[in-house]
Amino acid sequence: MKTIIEAQGLTKVYPGGIVAVDNVSFSVNEGEIFGFLGPNGAGKSTTIAMLTTLISPTKGTATINGIDITKHAYQARLELGFVSQDLAVEDALSGNDNLRLQAGFYHIPRAEALVRIAEVLKMVDLTARAKDKAETYSGGMRKRLDIACGLIHRPRILFLDEPTLGLDIQTRREIWKYINTLREEIKMTIFLTTHYMDEADSLCDRVAIIDRGVIKTLDTPMALKDALKNEIEQPTLDDVFLHHTGKEMREDYSTKEAAFKSRMIMRRARG
Amino acid sequence: MSITLLLSDIYWVFWREIKKFAQQKARLLMVVVQPLVWLVLMGNAMSGLTRNPAAAQMLGTGNYLDFMTPGIMIMTALFGGVFGGITIVWDRRTGYLNKMLAAPIYRAAIPLGKLMSIGLQTMLQALIIVIIALFLGVHFKTGFPGVIALLFIAGMFGIIMGGISLSLSSRIKSMETLMAISNFLTMPLMFTSNAMFPTNAMPTWLKDIALANPVSYAVHAMRTISTQGWIWTEIWPAMAALTVIMMLIVALAIRLFSRSVN
Repeated sequence: MKTIIEAQGLTKVYPGGIVAVDNVSFSVNEGEIFGFLGPNGAGKSTTIAMLTTLISPTKGTATINGIDITKHAYQARLELGFVSQDLAVEDALSGNDNLRLQAGFYHIPRAEALVRIAEVLKMVDLTARAKDKAETYSGGMRKRLDIACGLIHRPRILFLDEPTLGLDIQTRREIWKYINTLREEIKMTIFLTTHYMDEADSLCDRVAIIDRGVIKTLDTPMALKDALKNEIEQPTLDDVFLHHTGKEMREDYSTKEAAFKSRMIMRRARG
Repeated sequence: MSITLLLSDIYWVFWREIKKFAQQKARLLMVVVQPLVWLVLMGNAMSGLTRNPAAAQMLGTGNYLDFMTPGIMIMTALFGGVFGGITIVWDRRTGYLNKMLAAPIYRAAIPLGKLMSIGLQTMLQALIIVIIALFLGVHFKTGFPGVIALLFIAGMFGIIMGGISLSLSSRIKSMETLMAISNFLTMPLMFTSNAMFPTNAMPTWLKDIALANPVSYAVHAMRTISTQGWIWTEIWPAMAALTVIMMLIVALAIRLFSRSVN
């Protein structure tokens, strides 16, 4: 199996000496759904930000389809799609225009863009609403539009940061369906972070559990659960998670900025 | 670095801003209403001044509205441009900035595209002021070519203010702080300039400040064109100074933005 992401000793130290990610190494195989789990502040988003070239690592590096993210950030961006947890669609524009804009950012010629827009709209079932402004969409539709934006340049690998954050259970399952379609129909590699263990369990081929900037364990959900069989009867992925990350509460978002942002996400998600 | 790709990136950032602007009906309405209020209210209140021959001489024209129209154009450019940086703060909060940054976009294209849209919006607003002013009987001495020149100067000034705002927004991540600083900047800039009152009527200390204020360069060039004619010795120095200031501020905005996203 071909390796498509290879992280070697990724480290991020923020000003003030906070080590968000500490010497993390792992690899992701082509075509798999790779889950990245961890409590708040564990280093999930920082890792994704480094892999998607949004921030540069303090030490270490990674390759995306063989391209070094620190040396060739521009080329690496062409290989990856990024769907943030923010539901970052342009509310004032229609679904169609959101996608036109995204195609423009990736320098896709006009005629080709029209073909691809139709294609991704169909993939996320938004064709009928494409001409309506995104502000009239429900939370789930917005998320689907956001995912469609991430697919327009046909990336080799799609990063989904908390794809179901703030969505209700029905909408979450609907998003899972689309994620599964991506894997099955276009054999896309997906790197996703999530807080929901049931999500990781049902979607991911392999999961890594990260805490305090360090990867605690990495395996298939089945193998991780089996490893706990001697301690717990019928362990779930929740048990695995707590086993590796401890039971105490984590410092939740403590800054005003972060609190505002998480509120915004929830509000936008609910639509 | 490919120029074609850079231009394409600038175009799409610009396209997004203009498209958003065009969608906001309330904002479009304000573009018309705001200068209308200023010209009608302020213009009426102050036009009594011109009945006094000494005041009329200070204004350099027999009609206060003639004097004030370029001032209103620059004031609108100033208020429009100074909030340009807010779109970056907003993009950062909504996550749209990260979406753009994860794409293969030249970093410089983001501030440049936003500044171009500010420039175009300012010119549009200036055009609306011209139309309203024509209805109120304002006379533009240099006619249509003069009006085009006025629009260009207003656009340049909008870009200067937008550049200052974008530079600030690279450092200031909170909307409230940026708004407070922008407000703090606009009022003194406006009232220490020749936009509303002739410098001849000012006390010496204020006159010195007014002559150094870039707002005054822009207004002086525009007022010369609209009320005196093509007096190049008056117009060129102001235009040259504005061009240099604009280039420096645009360069600063690009540099600070690129640094802030690395």
